[in-house]
Amino acid sequence: MTSRAPRSVRLLAAAVLAGVLSGAHVAAQAIQYERPVQVAPQQETIGGGYVTPDVQRPRPREYWLQVADVGLLAVAMALAVWFVIERRSRAWTLTLTAASLAYFGFYRQGCICPIGSIQNVAVALTDSTYSIPMVVTAVFFMPLVVALFVGRAFCGSVCPLGAMQELVVLKPIQVPRRLDNALGLLKYVYLALAIGLAIRPEIARDFVICRFDPFVGFFRREGFAHMMAIGAGFLVLGTVVGRPYCRYLCPYGGLLSWCSRLATRGVTITPAKELDCGLCAKACPYGAIDRMRAVRKECLYCARCYASCPCEATPGVAV
Amino acid sequence: MSDGITRRDALGRVVRGTVLLGLGSTAGFLINKAEGQVVWQVDTSRCVNSRLGEAGAEVCMLCTTQCVVAQSAVRAINSFRDCGRCYVCPAYYNIRSAVDERGLPSEKLCPRDAIRRTPIGFVDPEDPANNFYEYVIEEEKCDGCGLCVKACREPLGLGSIVLKVRHNLCVDCNRCAISIACPHDALFQHKVADALEPTLARQPQP
Amino acid sequence: MGSMHYRRLPNVRRDGPDSRFATALRGLAVDRRDRIYAVGDAEVKIFDRDGRLQRRWPTSRPGCSVAVDEYDRVYVGETGQLEIFDATGRLADVWRHASRLGRVTAIDFAGGDVLVGDANDRAIRRYDEHGSFMNDIGKNNRMQGFLIPNGVIEFAVDRAGVIQAANPGKHRIERYTLDDRLLGHIGRFDGVDPAGFPGCCNPTNLAVDVRGRIYVTEKADPRVKVYNDDGTLVAVVASEGFDPNCKNMDIAVDSRGRVYVTDPVRLDILAFETEGAAS
Ligand code: SF4
Ligand code: SF4
Ligand code: SF4
Ligand code: SF4
Ligand code: SF4
Repeated sequence: MTSRAPRSVRLLAAAVLAGVLSGAHVAAQAIQYERPVQVAPQQETIGGGYVTPDVQRPRPREYWLQVADVGLLAVAMALAVWFVIERRSRAWTLTLTAASLAYFGFYRQGCICPIGSIQNVAVALTDSTYSIPMVVTAVFFMPLVVALFVGRAFCGSVCPLGAMQELVVLKPIQVPRRLDNALGLLKYVYLALAIGLAIRPEIARDFVICRFDPFVGFFRREGFAHMMAIGAGFLVLGTVVGRPYCRYLCPYGGLLSWCSRLATRGVTITPAKELDCGLCAKACPYGAIDRMRAVRKECLYCARCYASCPCEATPGVAV
Repeated sequence: MSDGITRRDALGRVVRGTVLLGLGSTAGFLINKAEGQVVWQVDTSRCVNSRLGEAGAEVCMLCTTQCVVAQSAVRAINSFRDCGRCYVCPAYYNIRSAVDERGLPSEKLCPRDAIRRTPIGFVDPEDPANNFYEYVIEEEKCDGCGLCVKACREPLGLGSIVLKVRHNLCVDCNRCAISIACPHDALFQHKVADALEPTLARQPQP
Repeated sequence: MGSMHYRRLPNVRRDGPDSRFATALRGLAVDRRDRIYAVGDAEVKIFDRDGRLQRRWPTSRPGCSVAVDEYDRVYVGETGQLEIFDATGRLADVWRHASRLGRVTAIDFAGGDVLVGDANDRAIRRYDEHGSFMNDIGKNNRMQGFLIPNGVIEFAVDRAGVIQAANPGKHRIERYTLDDRLLGHIGRFDGVDPAGFPGCCNPTNLAVDVRGRIYVTEKADPRVKVYNDDGTLVAVVASEGFDPNCKNMDIAVDSRGRVYVTDPVRLDILAFETEGAAS
């Protein structure tokens, strides 16, 4: 069952590669913008002490602030790992989730976003004239590297999209495992599609992940009506099916879950301590506990299992 | 059994090391290629509202309707050094409206009243025609509808008003929503210094 | 207005590569024998009244304006200089002055003096026939010159020796004496009524005929009109036939009332005549 996803990933990757090779790049043509003659009166001819004001040219956000954001991202992931693996604390994790949602989501308006940067990275790798700032590279790779060692700490309490859904989980049902696995493949299809559309020639390029980001409209508190409706739909669905976007659609989640398969540490249902009571499996809203073991590639680092565990809550019970 | 575990661990380590190396070198490649910060900007020489030789063309309002920011991050700017500072500015007045008692058009062009007009220089109080005027676009009011840009375009005006992405308002989408919609491929990512130039034209690719 | 109607004649012919302008067509003039002089590229071309190319010769810089005096000497205004040729195209004289002849966009003659419009400094210069500078015209005002956002100074001297100068930024035609006295003006802004001047800066170019009528061209949208000396509109000569991107279309009128107008975008010379006039 678990080996199905990677195989399909390989197939899709081959399809994407074929797309790359067939995509012809159109050289952008330069058009000069020159007036026939410069005739506008300047401040010397206008006289009377008139000084030409500066053209309004607001600068983008300072670069060092963007670097600081990357730093914050790293700190947040480190905290996520610490809260879940060392402290095993649901409360702290939840606090961090809320903080991340507030900062990366509502303050930064969803725009420190490894999910969308998949497309930028794909284009930068295939188009010789396109490059991405270092900040984007860092944002894209850091969560992957973390996942490689300790699993999806980014998803747990850093990603604002995840956090949005995390906070609306009310009465999660357990999605039947087969259905869950089958739906989980969707994200790889989406990933391939997004890459395929992104690496087309410059003017035909489309970044679908961004265009169909269901939650960014909430972060910006404005957006196209249809996307707001889809976002609201995901949130409503999210009350009964834990994190539907993360589990079935998020393309970056696909990459993360792939990396996290290689992780040596992560959320573990400790064989030495456990009572095999199965409370944790019931507590996991994401179907990530399979036969009494946390599945790394599915685990979203929410620490609910620890919170549900009688051994964790009352240390005396553990033998 | 314990042998098997060790072997599996070792294998895991090798695989992880390989993936890490792969990720690292990809990141290295991208960082090596990086050219610093880039931002979206409207290419004046392509936008149909400002480009030369388009006197007959209709106004394009996609910059105001397509931006993901509700009051579009694209707004008009007046590049003062190129402005004719006319008495009857066709971008300020609706020059097709009836003339009022001052001999000026009775209506303004901007639907949001975002342009401010002030006489400058040695102001002649007797004859208002005998003055230069400064036209400033009030950023907060403008939504980049392009009407004034089209009116200022050569040959009616001097083409000093152009549409520009305001970087303090733009959320820097990975792929600017307007660039997908723009029928004239006028939006591209530029280095910050270039993007701040008022009459930016896309440079040829090497 | 109303009684006069103009019809369009075939363009001044451009058959053969020699009679064609390749990149620019800026200045237009008619001499006393009704031959048509056009400057553009870096060349003077002379056509007869039927549009046949008579003669052409190169100028050292691209010409902006042209005028022919009573001795058939051809004055070509350029950037930074004025070139004077004899009737056969031999260079007779060059007047150079970087600041007074910055960009010469109009030339005319009055009682032996040569008047030159410098668009860079927004003023008309008066020179004697030998090329020594006498005085500026139109510069002694609050704006220190004409208001020409369109980028050309245009004027013509009528039979009475009065300078009729376009002041497009004010939507007026101003009258000056040779010694820089403002006599008055005609014209007003109006974007609807054809009797007024529309747009940001009109009229852009003008010519005066023997009867003292003033022929003007407008940009955006291109239009050619005739006014009486008192400022009443006589006729709209043409409001179509030009490329809509046209700006600063030079105009000239011959002794029999035929009107020539340049189309600087399509590089054509259009001709118009009153209905019923014998061609
Ligand atoms: S799966 Fe995607 S959306 Fe969900 S938390 Fe992870 S990165 Fe964010
Ligand atoms: S969409 Fe393109 S053509 Fe239209 S206003 Fe914007 S930049 Fe100009
Ligand atoms: S039309 Fe343009 S160039 Fe002319 S005054 Fe208005 S803003 Fe300035
Ligand atoms: S772009 Fe539209 S809203 Fe902005 S100043 Fe011009 S006319 Fe007004
Ligand atoms: S990048 Fe986004 S916010 Fe900026 S102008 Fe384009 S659509 Fe608007």
